[in-house]
Amino acid sequence: MAVEVKLPRLGQGMEAGTIVRWLKSEGENVVKGDPLYELDTDKVTQEVEAEADGVLLKIVVSDGEVDVGTTVGVIGAEGEEVSLEPPEPQPAEPSEPKETPAEEAARPAAEGERKEPAEPSDRSSQGRAVEREPSAPHGAPAGAEARGRVKASPLARRIARERGIELASLRGTGPDGRIVAEDVERGAAPSRPGPAEAPAVGEVEVVELNSIRRTIARRLTEAWEAPVFQLTVTADASELVATREQTLALVAEGDVKPTVNDVLTRVVAAALVQHRAVNAHFVEGQIRRHSAAHVGIAVATPNGLVVPVIRDADRKTVREIASARADLVSRAREGKLQLQDLEDGTFTISNLGMYGIEQFVAVLNPPQVAILAVGAIADRSLVVDGELEVAPTMTMTLTCDHRAIDGSEGAEFLRTVKAFVEAPALAL
Amino acid sequence: MATVEEKAGSGGRRVSEEVLKGFFREMLLIRRFEEKVEERFRAGELPGFLHVAIGQEAAATGVCAALERDDVIASTHRAHAHAIAKGTPVERIMAELYGKVEGCSRGYGGSMHLYDVAVGNLGANAVVAGGIPGIVGAALAFQMRGEPRVAVAFFGDGATNTGTFHESLNLAQLWKVPAVFSLENNGWAESTPARQQLPLPVDELAKRALAYGMKTIEADGQDVEAVYLAALAAREHAVAGKGPVLVHLRTHRLTGHYVGDPQVYRDKDELRRERETKDPIELLRARLELSESELETIDAAATAEVTAAVEFAKAGTDPPPEDALKYVYA
Amino acid sequence: MPEVTYREAVRDALTHALRTDERVFLMGEDIGEMGGSMGVTQGLLDEFGPKRIRNTPISEMAIVGTGIGSAMQGMRPVVEIMYEDFLTLSMEQLVNQAAKHRTMSGGQVSVPLTIRTQGGAGWSPGAQHAQQLEAWFVHVPGLKVVFASTPADVRGLLWASIQDENPVLFFEHRTLYPIKGEVPDELEPIPLGRARIHREGEDVTVVATGRLVHEALEAAEAAEQEGISVEVVDPRTLQPLDEETILESVRKTTRCVTAHEAVTRGGFGAELAAVVQHGAFDWLDAPIERVGAKFGPLPFAPALEQWVVPHAADVLDAVRRTVARA
Repeated sequence: MAVEVKLPRLGQGMEAGTIVRWLKSEGENVVKGDPLYELDTDKVTQEVEAEADGVLLKIVVSDGEVDVGTTVGVIGAEGEEVSLEPPEPQPAEPSEPKETPAEEAARPAAEGERKEPAEPSDRSSQGRAVEREPSAPHGAPAGAEARGRVKASPLARRIARERGIELASLRGTGPDGRIVAEDVERGAAPSRPGPAEAPAVGEVEVVELNSIRRTIARRLTEAWEAPVFQLTVTADASELVATREQTLALVAEGDVKPTVNDVLTRVVAAALVQHRAVNAHFVEGQIRRHSAAHVGIAVATPNGLVVPVIRDADRKTVREIASARADLVSRAREGKLQLQDLEDGTFTISNLGMYGIEQFVAVLNPPQVAILAVGAIADRSLVVDGELEVAPTMTMTLTCDHRAIDGSEGAEFLRTVKAFVEAPALAL
Repeated sequence: MATVEEKAGSGGRRVSEEVLKGFFREMLLIRRFEEKVEERFRAGELPGFLHVAIGQEAAATGVCAALERDDVIASTHRAHAHAIAKGTPVERIMAELYGKVEGCSRGYGGSMHLYDVAVGNLGANAVVAGGIPGIVGAALAFQMRGEPRVAVAFFGDGATNTGTFHESLNLAQLWKVPAVFSLENNGWAESTPARQQLPLPVDELAKRALAYGMKTIEADGQDVEAVYLAALAAREHAVAGKGPVLVHLRTHRLTGHYVGDPQVYRDKDELRRERETKDPIELLRARLELSESELETIDAAATAEVTAAVEFAKAGTDPPPEDALKYVYA
Repeated sequence: MPEVTYREAVRDALTHALRTDERVFLMGEDIGEMGGSMGVTQGLLDEFGPKRIRNTPISEMAIVGTGIGSAMQGMRPVVEIMYEDFLTLSMEQLVNQAAKHRTMSGGQVSVPLTIRTQGGAGWSPGAQHAQQLEAWFVHVPGLKVVFASTPADVRGLLWASIQDENPVLFFEHRTLYPIKGEVPDELEPIPLGRARIHREGEDVTVVATGRLVHEALEAAEAAEQEGISVEVVDPRTLQPLDEETILESVRKTTRCVTAHEAVTRGGFGAELAAVVQHGAFDWLDAPIERVGAKFGPLPFAPALEQWVVPHAADVLDAVRRTVARA
């Protein structure tokens, strides 16, 4: 009995993934647990394991983006006949149930194996089932090329034809990556000669968005819609630096050396559990305050920004945090993060201190309601008790989602952070 | 229209010999027409398929003879006899069978849809009982406008099993419209004999109209005089505002259901006997005691008319294909 | 301009036809003293008498057939079939007779018959009293099909239908009878085959019929809040169809949604989609979306019924899909 390999949902919110390549070929033996193909999701690239033993009878989707639940391959006994129904079209908005459980239950159990053409279904009344191409891959970047064919609306095709534009050179922003008129118009604009044409600026490197970049773009654009305010505070980092040095002394040979940022993570986590208004998510009109502080740390990787999460940072020692951080960062840079590394963050710290940035404003990382932007620690002049002193200081800027946090709540949190930074012992 | 010697009284009514001879000429014309049609169909000249009324000539002739030109009829799939009897020239019917513009339906109807509104033929219907309610409507129009006209529906015993028939008779009687329901009971619904389709004796089909309180008149459908008198009485009743009438004509289909029907369902000996004893043309010829020469003269005239009709039809105009949708909407 | 209900508008057209054309008469079940099961013919018996307002037995085949015969003999009958579900009982006469007499006779006869009927869900009548079967009749050459959605339209279109030389299936929607709208002072026929643009828009054309015209207008308002500009077109006559108005609209907006209460599969929206894809192919920027009832006999319980038939929200969803981005 052949088993269909369906694209798994590997994390909350995952709706689709991009198959990078298959690690097994058609006809090859597969043992349950073998890495089967590489999948690029919004957050991470990972290997997906086989869920059954047998022979990889068929690769249905060799590469490109597919929706969760789509059949991408078939594993079965050697020589077994494979016959597949076209994949069910995916609802556009999965948050809206299109079928009731009762209806699901009423279906004959064997339906999945039937070969008849699609029955008139309720979906057809949604205008979906009968009018969409049954092909699985969609949303493929770079020309929306799916199975060798560029998906484009008739109008987009006409405009492209009239203006002599190669559709394959365009990126589709319509459903399933379809090129729509707007995409052609946008693609056409710079190439149109005209008196007002700007002087040549040299070669332009066109960078297609990979899925991480697209996710960043989408999520940060979403985040931009939130009404935010910023609070800035400057703290004396002397004790923070001293604490880091004390812990360094305790680190054994070969162990990960904690950074100042690891100490900062720990004290911020301590502040978060005291100020749960800031340690929260804003989801579907609700504020969800969390008791544990899962602190995300922004990491630059060759593919773009990722934010792996240090879980229960409020209950970890600085050394534990350092060890977790080091593992996450190295895997992030190698592109080996798992989805669970990226999930459930309740707060994010973004530190650009290593670039010498003094202070900056970070954009929210939804659904989190706050993010802390940390600048460089450097010796600066400081007035203490009316005296001018020189001390290492750092400036932190908290961005708050005003839908969830009021100014006073943010200010109280930031005051605690400052206190902990200046006296880490209070937090440890 | 034919005349009757005596209009008054019921039993005393007789039809003059001259009138009967006229009926004979018409019945023979129908017979020769139907034979020619069978011949031309077998020769492959006629498209579609055909039903001939051999054996049922008296029913068509007698009923239509009792009607005025203004009266209207609706016919059935076995339509040629009714069309001829109502007054459409045979060459125009033949032209229709050949699918020509000169046809009585301009080539759009065919054998089962012969229309000739000018002589009151509202069309032949290929759906069993399909024409009956339309006749109730035509009669209603006459009644509402106070016109002394009747509308006649031809149909067979098979039609009396449809809901359409019953709904129509019920409504016609309820509103007392001047309609005549001419039941040509040949005992066959295509290949299905009376015993397989009728729960009552085949000769008692008129009882179905009695259920609606409708007047019924019985006549031997092979006796053109009887048919004529029955139809005349029915017309008088209806046009006088007394309500519709069902005229039950027991008749005999002396051929298959359609041209080429091998009639595997039918007893060959019985069919032969029927042909020998129930042929309305033979019965009338015997009664009129026509001489051989008289018969030959009438036959020659009928044959010549039919032969000329074929020539007329063959010389007719093929309708331009692009006119196919010309009459979909008015 | 006076404001009347849809029901009054139908009655007004009938009254006008009966007063001005002596060939006009009405036939149907319970249309006399009772005034029709929808109350449309109330008062007509008093004014025009039983000869012209004819109560009939429950005999849909005979009623329609009688209408056909009298129409062929020069009358202008207006037949009422109480629920369009009951059209099934008269199908032979409608499809084989009314639609075909003219062609079969080579143009010798015409059948100027109007068949009024109504249907539609929204009041839990169950599966046999609320179907929307208009698409069936669009498939029969020789019939004209009208589906009016407003008082002004139903009045003008009915008057035009009665004057038409052809058999016209005239669909009314049960839930629209109480709605009010302005009608012109003078009753002018609205020519069959002319669509009405209810609302102009730039982004998406919704071609809607019957009740869904109102749902589409509601959806259009909501879409406007989201920055989507919706044009709503009601063809009003399904046969003949004003293809040009619909195509012009889609060529302008580049997107199309069809909407009716009838089930989607094989519905009139399918025909519209075919017309639009062919006539506006190079203008389409998104797949044509269809909105209709889910594919099942109408269930009784209000919650079930409401789940099956489409509403403004379904139209809005379809509109959104046409402008969606990945």
